[in-house]
Amino acid sequence: MNGKIYLDNCVTTPTAPEVVEAMQPYFNSQFWFPGTFISTGEATNAALAGFRKTVADSLHASPEEIHFTSGGTLANNIAIKGILGAHSNQGRHLIVSVVDYPDLLTNAAYFENQGFSVTYLEPDSEGFVSAAKLQSALRPDTILFMTTIVNHVVGTIQPIAEYKEVLAKAGHKVFFHADAGQAYGKLPLDADALGVDTLSVSAHKIHGPQGVGALYVRQGTKLAPLIHGVNRFDPLQNGGISIALLAGFAKAVELTFADLDATVRHLRGLSDYLLERLEASIPDIELNGPRGEQRACHNINVSIAYIEGEAITMMLDQYGITVATGSACASQGLKPNYVLMAMGKNHIQSHGSIKFTLSRYTTREDIDFTVAKLAEIAAALRARSPLYQTKTDLEK
Amino acid sequence: MQYSQKVLDHFMHPHNVGKMENPDATATEGSPACGDQVTVYLKVDEEKKTIDDISFLSYGCASNIATASIITDLAKGKTLDEAKAITWKDAMEALDGLPPVKVHCSVLAADTLQTAISNYEIAHGLKEVPNFGKDTIVEELKKIIYPQVGEDIVTLKMVKYVGFTDGEVLIDMNMQSFDTWRENVAEEIREHLEKYPEVKHIQINFP
Repeated sequence: MNGKIYLDNCVTTPTAPEVVEAMQPYFNSQFWFPGTFISTGEATNAALAGFRKTVADSLHASPEEIHFTSGGTLANNIAIKGILGAHSNQGRHLIVSVVDYPDLLTNAAYFENQGFSVTYLEPDSEGFVSAAKLQSALRPDTILFMTTIVNHVVGTIQPIAEYKEVLAKAGHKVFFHADAGQAYGKLPLDADALGVDTLSVSAHKIHGPQGVGALYVRQGTKLAPLIHGVNRFDPLQNGGISIALLAGFAKAVELTFADLDATVRHLRGLSDYLLERLEASIPDIELNGPRGEQRACHNINVSIAYIEGEAITMMLDQYGITVATGSACASQGLKPNYVLMAMGKNHIQSHGSIKFTLSRYTTREDIDFTVAKLAEIAAALRARSPLYQTKTDLEK
Repeated sequence: MQYSQKVLDHFMHPHNVGKMENPDATATEGSPACGDQVTVYLKVDEEKKTIDDISFLSYGCASNIATASIITDLAKGKTLDEAKAITWKDAMEALDGLPPVKVHCSVLAADTLQTAISNYEIAHGLKEVPNFGKDTIVEELKKIIYPQVGEDIVTLKMVKYVGFTDGEVLIDMNMQSFDTWRENVAEEIREHLEKYPEVKHIQINFP
């Protein structure tokens, strides 16, 4: 990767070379759209059926339950607006949590503006949203519960199995939508067993191409169409979808799921190592979110006391290292990270937070170099920081 | 949105950084909650009234560190009167500009320098402690940058009315309901005014 170290893989991942290779024919000789009776269209039909089967297998779903979309956000919108469009006569109350992915929160706000009522569940200090909170928020008119299986900021894995139990005992049908953007390829997902009605995934989070994703829709679930137009690839996303991107998506799924246990073990080993090195090398550093198995295997988020995250990321950038921060100074709206704040962190902890998200291409050498540079940077920025000066003055 | 090379140079290799032992005056502005805080230390020649030495500490982003660095460069060796004429626009120019959302950093740096000079002058009987009033509030509002355009809210005519009676500050703002910076600006106004003991309550109205 041009000598650069990229540790912001929750945003997007480098496309695997095998994926680029798998897409190539579909840009050139096999560019056709689906069609019937003619050999070109039928060839694409067959390819498409194969890609759909690959993605379905990764979620233990049947191919009919997989709908290709132009990305995770579109999948989320098709699901949420589709469910509420088709079933709002049965209730107009939604439940979501304040730490969910912006796709879910902006949809909740949209429906709130449309006159729906929304309950926003609060997380605990590690980012978990308990099933008990879901239970107490349920109302006779609750129509939809949405969750983000793996939190995109701190990697917390939500108690999905417990949600399923609570929803099963609700006494009426409550639709269950899950954003699995950060969970896909990071933990085993069995869509049927999870109890979700709809679930969104994205290719570019698992080394597939950008601009393609999928929506799982449980068999028999009725969604109102969001997009009207010519039916080419999928009735839920009318219009064209790139066949090449679908080929790339399927290849990325093959690579990730050929041995998911090994993929997860590799990432878990690396992130454990990263955390261990960080804690050994930098004083006054704290982990945000849970430690161990309840955390996604690719995410480490820490707060480095007395210094500010935008300055840290800028300095790491000078060494060719890309990470993310929850600092207000680095955000477009000059606001501290909403997930960390909801978890009860203070402004300084949020401003000083650094998020590392790893991928199959991350190496121990990358981690060693990053931590060594970060330790230097933390020391340099602390030497300039009035907060650190106050602390050392007090210690004297 | 990118930083200029000058900003990056001053950020990576700041000038005049570090705590000063036995300064003649010092000032700290900003707050960790907002993500930026600057401390400026001054050594002043009592006879010539020149700034012989100056240094800073900064908690904040790259532009926060860079603007504090440049402001100390601009002030070093100047007389107090010359230094009092240094504005955030001078700091910004000297850095070849800042992205609009980062302009407030240069305001903070300039403001901290001015407060340090003011503290020196008050301590040495060169000026009186100013009375708090409506003018003080307006001066503070001039330090608040509308992040969308990188200009202060008074110049942009976003402040419709300022009132001050019995510790009650009343400010009417001219910001549309769809303006996503409303909350941000209101927070900044509070932060700037709450530090005055004369201020007991702040009421900010939007249309």
